[in-house]
Amino acid sequence: MLEQRLYRHIDWLLLGSLFLLAAIGVAMIYSTTYDPTTGGASPLVSIQLWALALGFLALVITLSIDYRWFADLSPVFFMGLVGLVAYALLFGTTGGGARRWIDLGAFNLQPSEFARMVVALGLATLFTRYWQGRTPFGWLMAVTVVAIPFVLIAQQPDLGTAVTLLPVALVIFVFAGLPLRYVGLLIVVGTLSAPAVWAYGLEDYQRERILSFLDPEKDPRGAGYQQLQAKITAGSGGATGKGFLRGTQSQYNFLPVAHNDFVFSVLAEEQGFLGVVVALGLYLFVILRGMDAARLAKDRLGMYLVVGIMAGFTFQVIYNIAMSAGLAPVKGLTLPLMSYGGSSVIATLAAFGFVLNVRMRRFTN
Amino acid sequence: MKTSSRFAPGALERPRDSLAVLLAVWRWGMVLVFAGLAAGFWWLQVVEYDKYRQHAEDNHQRTLVLSAPRGAVLDRDGRVLAENRDSLNITLSREQAEDLEGTVALLADLSGVPLSELRAIVERHRRDPPFRPVVLIRDAAFDQVAAVAAHKRELPGIYVQQLPVRFYPAGDVAAHILGYVGEVSEAEMATPEFEGVRRGAIVGKSGIERSYNRLLMGRDGARRVVVDNVGREIRVLDERLPREGRQIQLTLDYDLQEAAEDAFADAGFNGSAVFLDPRSGEILALVSRPAYDPNVFARGIDGETWGRLNRDRLRPLNHRALQGRYSPGSTFKVAMAVAALEEGVVTPDFRVACPGGRRVHGRFFRCHSTHGSVDMREALEKSCNSYFYALGEKMEIDQIHKWATALGLGELSGVDLPHEVRGLMPSTAWKRERRGERWYPGETISVAIGQGAVSVTPISLAVMMATVANGGTRVTPHLLAAVNEGQGFERVRRPVPRSRVAISPTTLEVVTEGLWFVVNRAGTGRRGRIYGRDVMGKTGTAQVVSLQGRAAAAGSSDQDFRDHGWFVFAVPAGAPEIAGAVFGEHNEHGYLSAPIARHVLETYFAKKDGLPRPTVPVPPFGRRAWAAAPAEAADQ
Repeated sequence: MLEQRLYRHIDWLLLGSLFLLAAIGVAMIYSTTYDPTTGGASPLVSIQLWALALGFLALVITLSIDYRWFADLSPVFFMGLVGLVAYALLFGTTGGGARRWIDLGAFNLQPSEFARMVVALGLATLFTRYWQGRTPFGWLMAVTVVAIPFVLIAQQPDLGTAVTLLPVALVIFVFAGLPLRYVGLLIVVGTLSAPAVWAYGLEDYQRERILSFLDPEKDPRGAGYQQLQAKITAGSGGATGKGFLRGTQSQYNFLPVAHNDFVFSVLAEEQGFLGVVVALGLYLFVILRGMDAARLAKDRLGMYLVVGIMAGFTFQVIYNIAMSAGLAPVKGLTLPLMSYGGSSVIATLAAFGFVLNVRMRRFTN
Repeated sequence: MKTSSRFAPGALERPRDSLAVLLAVWRWGMVLVFAGLAAGFWWLQVVEYDKYRQHAEDNHQRTLVLSAPRGAVLDRDGRVLAENRDSLNITLSREQAEDLEGTVALLADLSGVPLSELRAIVERHRRDPPFRPVVLIRDAAFDQVAAVAAHKRELPGIYVQQLPVRFYPAGDVAAHILGYVGEVSEAEMATPEFEGVRRGAIVGKSGIERSYNRLLMGRDGARRVVVDNVGREIRVLDERLPREGRQIQLTLDYDLQEAAEDAFADAGFNGSAVFLDPRSGEILALVSRPAYDPNVFARGIDGETWGRLNRDRLRPLNHRALQGRYSPGSTFKVAMAVAALEEGVVTPDFRVACPGGRRVHGRFFRCHSTHGSVDMREALEKSCNSYFYALGEKMEIDQIHKWATALGLGELSGVDLPHEVRGLMPSTAWKRERRGERWYPGETISVAIGQGAVSVTPISLAVMMATVANGGTRVTPHLLAAVNEGQGFERVRRPVPRSRVAISPTTLEVVTEGLWFVVNRAGTGRRGRIYGRDVMGKTGTAQVVSLQGRAAAAGSSDQDFRDHGWFVFAVPAGAPEIAGAVFGEHNEHGYLSAPIARHVLETYFAKKDGLPRPTVPVPPFGRRAWAAAPAEAADQ
């Protein structure tokens, strides 16, 4: 299946960067979950390592088979995703206030993490195989492909994950021909409807998070706590950091969910500005390299697939890093590749399998 | 090329180069966004580093105060007057209490403290951080501690905490000298006296505890610990051990102090007494009664007790020896005699006829008896008003003022205790400034017998006697004798005298003789006599209100209008080594104050000679005492 010719076109630099970032993530997870009294590593570290192994396996699969074959099967994947998300919504286990996990015994699967990839594949297929004429019915179908998983995930309720579908869809729409003036119109309508959304569309805790973002010191023990602590964690790292296992904010639990949503703050604390620059550089490299794959794509299907995946990845990386520095309101969004979380790791690596796939097959027919 | 045939450009399909532009815009946008993120972290981690490092440190480091025990206070023989004892507090750590309500209820049951009281304390501290222990029972009794210890498993979060508190073994003896301690107040922290004292520290509030607070306090230690987000201590960073306060030794003689207080208790009236060494100014005993028990402050005084002490009509917190201003009555005649002789207004042999009073400036001033012709010595002995009216007639008020001031009247004694007040010795300047009037010669006549505007504190009268006793040196009464900086007690430098005048030997001889007569001949101070000790002294009566005022106020209020009685003394005549003043509040007669002085002086000499201390004298209110009274009763 994987011919010698294709093997030579694998983007080893991108692949290497992905694993470097994942390795940094494992080190940070080890550090924050380390128990100084026993001196032992937390079981979370080995879970993350197992997830990385599974993710690598997924990447090999999404890389090896021609992406056009996946496009052929995209309706099946889409139905599967919708089924799993609906199952999680109805029968899943609850975590962080949302019913988002399916208990598989050995571990919990969070199907919504796979939504970005499946939606990107679905939209790319839709625009290249079925409604190239861009009829109103075609647009309606495209919107439906995004809307069904969005609504289901938002109902869990996990608005944070649901919202990550929007950049994926928006970018593919634009690349597929949505005139930019409509994007402008969307922004205007969004801005105008913001007060109504504020009043009716948001839960109390969401309003509180936004308010506390605007003024975190107002209630430092309450809603602003995480954001303030995130700032303290990152800021106190200084230029060179406090050293591995020596971050006081993360080691003594002042920063909640440090191994998960705030793993970048931990990096900032222990490795300082230097570590931050290295990690930022790696992420930027991954993003630019991913877009390079889009540029080199042999066909529009590949390009749309890659830009969709990269849009979701980029949005999540930027939002999470900004949040770790207290520059964005706290939201339960993981940092792809570094944060603890099996489904996130597997889904991210599988998605990059597609990116590598498209680049690798740029010369094939 | 099945796929590419399907790939035919539609109406709205973007051309390839348009896609390339989009990608390029996106890529450069990413570079900008990441540069922005890097700039954000630069700002946070490099520019504002100090601020967040401080925040992080405040988060995980806590400084616990290790209180330094206060230094002990000893008397001149090394007897302990103030020290520290361990008290046991029962505290609650809410973070560890699983069932707060149940725990508190069980504790109330075991300790006998009303549940509502404990609940109120918990409620008061509801907003404190949960790891900070709340003191539920302060200075718990032994059986309470035992009950808690026995039920330890059922009382999670309840601890017994050991804490040093101030302890005054003698209870209310010397209470006003020692003073008391308490938590430093906000207002005090703003004053230079308490500069650098941390919030919540225990400081001296009055007495020696206050005036030597700096020496006694020592230096608190500190322990810096690392805590996690719920306040659990993880490890100790560093520790500075507390330095105990200095021990200080007072000039006070506990035996004399106790003798004086016993004598007051036995005599049945309140008042004040000052005993000092006229050669040095060392205070040997200093009494103010009624007193209070300073131990109630050490435990952290409750509002009720504090209110009771403050509302008490007898004002137990008032230090009468330093803060009570009274008319000196006939004791002022000592100052008058010195002034008249030193100013050369009269000679010691100047005689005045006393027919029961004297007409001065067209008005008749009464004496309390008919003394016939008296000279200076006899006038002092018999406390003859007519003689001193005559002196007042011959003298200017400013001459009297000059000598009374030289003897310390109307001045601060400079004693090393806080809150001393000044008496009043009038002068023409004073009258002009305060009343805007000139001084009338008739007023001098009242002053001459210690009435009118003159007022004194007991300690200033004691200073007067000491100054007369040592020939004109106004020594500074003081209590601090020695300080132990850690290498044993070292004597402190004696405070310099407040002023010095040379009183001529003739004057001293005449006054000494007159005052010896008061006690050892037919005078009013016979109850102060000690065989073989040559006590010299003078009694005096301080009118609380005039006779007219008393009639007017009769029955209209519950105020006590009975006169106060003074006895001032110096022993032995000729070369005094102990002098002072006794003030009997509302005891009506100066001669009733004399036995208090006598008992203390007897104790002094017994101790000096190595003899057993005398016991408290029998109350002098027998039939014979009253029979012998008329001459004394007539005293001013």
